[in-house]
Amino acid sequence: MTDDVKVADKTDSLTDLKETDEDLRLPSVVEPAHFPVETIDTEARHQTPAVGQRATRPDGRLHGLGQTKYIDDITFPNMLFAKMKRAGISSALIKSVDTSEAEAMPGVAAVLTGREIPVNSYGPSYQDQPVLADERVFHAGDPVAAVAAVTEQIAEEACERIKVEYEPLEPVYDPVEAMKDEIRVHPPHSNIYATKRIKKGDLEKGFAEADRIFEGVYSTQMIEHVPLEPHASIAQWDPNGRVTLWSSLGRITLGRADIARTLDMPINKIRIVGTIVGGNFGGKNEITTEPALALLSRKTGRPVKMVYTREEEFIASTTRHPFIMEYKTGVTNDGMITARKVRLVLDGGAYCSWSETTLGKACILSAGPYNIENLLAEAYCMYTNKTMTGAMRGFGAPQVCFAYESQMDEIAHKLGIDPLELRMKNAFHEGSASPTGQVLQSVVVKDSLEKAAERFGWKEDGQ
Amino acid sequence: MTDVTLTINGEERSASVPPETSLLRLLRDEFFLTGSKLGCDVGDCGACTVIVDGLPVNACLMLAGQVDGRDVVTIEGLATLEDLHPIQKAFEEFASLQCGFCGPGVIISAKGLLDRNPDPTKEEIKDALSGNLCRCTGYTKMIEAVQDAARILRGEKEAA
Repeated sequence: MTDDVKVADKTDSLTDLKETDEDLRLPSVVEPAHFPVETIDTEARHQTPAVGQRATRPDGRLHGLGQTKYIDDITFPNMLFAKMKRAGISSALIKSVDTSEAEAMPGVAAVLTGREIPVNSYGPSYQDQPVLADERVFHAGDPVAAVAAVTEQIAEEACERIKVEYEPLEPVYDPVEAMKDEIRVHPPHSNIYATKRIKKGDLEKGFAEADRIFEGVYSTQMIEHVPLEPHASIAQWDPNGRVTLWSSLGRITLGRADIARTLDMPINKIRIVGTIVGGNFGGKNEITTEPALALLSRKTGRPVKMVYTREEEFIASTTRHPFIMEYKTGVTNDGMITARKVRLVLDGGAYCSWSETTLGKACILSAGPYNIENLLAEAYCMYTNKTMTGAMRGFGAPQVCFAYESQMDEIAHKLGIDPLELRMKNAFHEGSASPTGQVLQSVVVKDSLEKAAERFGWKEDGQ
Repeated sequence: MTDVTLTINGEERSASVPPETSLLRLLRDEFFLTGSKLGCDVGDCGACTVIVDGLPVNACLMLAGQVDGRDVVTIEGLATLEDLHPIQKAFEEFASLQCGFCGPGVIISAKGLLDRNPDPTKEEIKDALSGNLCRCTGYTKMIEAVQDAARILRGEKEAA
């Protein structure tokens, strides 16, 4: 009987029904469903080196479609919104914090103060910054309490109802004044919290060899990064005692260690999801609100989101260090630099943040790209009762560049030498030694200067 | 509460929101159109730009109640199932965006310009984008992309 059945046909039909591995496999990257999936496939994607090739960014399309998910575009069920109460006073002792009225407000889920934070200090170099100020306020942007509520508006209103009693202290704002240590920002510690000194050759001999000595003081202002996306984070504490943080933080590994320290828990219980960052420029290199949000999430059992307002970006995130730069330079009448003495005073604001790195780089680069045999560069970073300063594009290099190039122009003008020629005479060449003794290779300063001068018509402009 | 009925990207939508709700919050929180970004909330940065009745506006400065019965186009309304909008394509090709946060606002401002003026000068493009701040790329590549998109929209150049 079975002979009548066509086995081959059966097998065929079964093959049709069976899904192959290939059919079951999901695409490794899920394509956005509602938009064209074909991408511009440039040659640069297929070969190395890509220099000289036209390249597109792999994330460019979603940016342009408005489909990139930044923190503020992410929502979780039952999510709360946090706001922080800012001190508004630059130096004071905190006598008391009364949160009762805020806690009683409908819609407020939890209020957090500094005393509830297991280890209330953090920072990438020195742990001198409180998550929420508890005993003392160091600058006006310091947060003194955090509120999680069902809407941002309620959280904000609750912050206004938190009563903080301060005992005002005399602040210090001028970094040069702060050097005297008469008013200390972080007593008993000195305001001078980082220094660097670079010495090369014989300074006195160098100045003695000079025909002319030029002295000048240059200063730069505080600058905020202004990333278009403000700092933002979401924390979700789970019942296993672990916390997941979605954060606009640029350095998530470092942030994880800092969060573990402040929460006094093992690092393996902290998970950070680094999302696409809407501009960093150095300003998102350290944690800000994350530990407070984690604790608010623990208190409420709900996810908690906080996004800085633009105002908070200016008063409560890091900024670029203002510099005061004293330059003394000895030159011969034909424009050769014989000696340079540099003294840098960095206004570090209330907390160290990345000041040490900034100070180091600024000091090393303070002599400029010039062969100077006799050099002394000294740099000091100072605490003041102002918004903290930290990493920003160049770590101090742009500030000193402004000073030494301004002085080069003054020297050229006074000696009657073409500014370009003065730089060509003194600029690094192949094998020049940097102020710290590093022998430099692939040096193209002079070629770059010449090419630039030619391209923008320096000579023709009648300089 | 304020009741609002408006057309968003060609579709009629309604919501009931507190009277202080801005158009931006309405789009982001009620309709989950998160392409329009909140950058400053005071009308300085332009990251929230949308088109209302043909003109680009800062959605953070307009109340939800003010758009009742009006026509709103957001970044989500530019691409079709078949293709990107020529401005979006040009921005991708010219690598005009880095972090991308300002992108939707810039592209919407550019669309607002090209809808009214298909052959703008460089100065006119600069003027149209003057309300949109970018901190990464700068504006050169954006201007080049808008010029390129304008050529495609005028039919002078084949789409890539």
